[in-house]
Amino acid sequence: MPELILLLSSAAAGFLGSLLGLGGGIIVIPVLTLGFHVDIRAAIAASLISIVATSSGAAAGFLKDRLTNVRLAIFLEVATVVGAVVGFLIAGWVRASWLFLLFGFFLLFSAVMMLRRREETKATKNHPWSERLKFASSYPGDRGDTVAYLVEKVPFGWVVMLVAGVLSGLLGIGSGIFKVLAMDGAMKLPLKVSSATSNFMIGVTATASAAAHFVHGNVVPEIAAPVALGIIAGSWIGARFMVKMPTIWIRRIFVVVLAIVSVQMIMKGWGS
Amino acid sequence: MRNESEIGFELRISKFLRAGVVLSAIFLAAGWLLELRAGIRPLGELSQAEPVALLERWRWWQGVWGGPVDLIYFGLLVLISLPLLRVLMTFVLLLKQKDNLLAVAAGFVLSVLIFSFVLGFEL
Repeated sequence: MPELILLLSSAAAGFLGSLLGLGGGIIVIPVLTLGFHVDIRAAIAASLISIVATSSGAAAGFLKDRLTNVRLAIFLEVATVVGAVVGFLIAGWVRASWLFLLFGFFLLFSAVMMLRRREETKATKNHPWSERLKFASSYPGDRGDTVAYLVEKVPFGWVVMLVAGVLSGLLGIGSGIFKVLAMDGAMKLPLKVSSATSNFMIGVTATASAAAHFVHGNVVPEIAAPVALGIIAGSWIGARFMVKMPTIWIRRIFVVVLAIVSVQMIMKGWGS
Repeated sequence: MRNESEIGFELRISKFLRAGVVLSAIFLAAGWLLELRAGIRPLGELSQAEPVALLERWRWWQGVWGGPVDLIYFGLLVLISLPLLRVLMTFVLLLKQKDNLLAVAAGFVLSVLIFSFVLGFEL
């Protein structure tokens, strides 16, 4: 039964998405377009709904486990929502194939860089903006202890979020990958905090364009319903796993997903 | 570092999101299962149709019942509204705490999200 397959594949997307701070859109869109021959416009709209579902489903758990940096998320969301609206507005004019190629290669490069890093590099200094807005915080470590962390390169992180927002509106993804890379790589947040905070933010990023798609009529309810239901179930399970899973394993899975998505994007850009 | 008030607020958002997701899932599941019972056309075929504006297809506000798909629309509306309502809660809390810079940020995000709903109407 095709609808059941859609439900189960969405659950897998939700599980992986909540584990890694992604929205699941990077799995949902290929499944819908290649597996079910759904029109790309409807697939993007369903993907954005699924990202909101992943975010809300997983965020509830991460907030309770004190992994999410809410203050930093609010600040970075300013950039992502502006970017998402811009992305939605220019979607008709920008040649998506070039974007797929560009970001596919960028993600491949990021996968290689992440693979080379054996350990998390902690922030050694708090950026002045982080001091002023009190972004430094703590989270439950892998050994059950409370680990404090600082935040570096806040302005750079903000700019990356703006680009991530444009990509979200343009391509129908949550851009969680870029958010996690910016927070983990540039701002030096712990990976679990990056993932949880990204999860928290992608819902807002996606809502900015999902709402426009929803009202405009691009969301096909018979497609969006099983996708959203599967995602909700998968993301809830994924959030439970993420808290207990050692960080090194999350990093390894993230690298694999990065590599797969980058190849997917490159092939899509090339094919177009 | 977080203070007690922030931790309490985060727990409240967590409960709110959980309740919202459960409510959305109930309506989505009910609508979808009823649609499945009635029979759904192939998904690819469904998606090829020209988009119909939400208020033309979903006429609940006129008291018109359009079938199980109306339940799905309600579930989707609840789901999409969750991040917006979450930002609203955050905005109100930050104002109460007189955390003005972040309150401005939250207020801006809220405005853009509301604008995005309006954008769908305009296009």
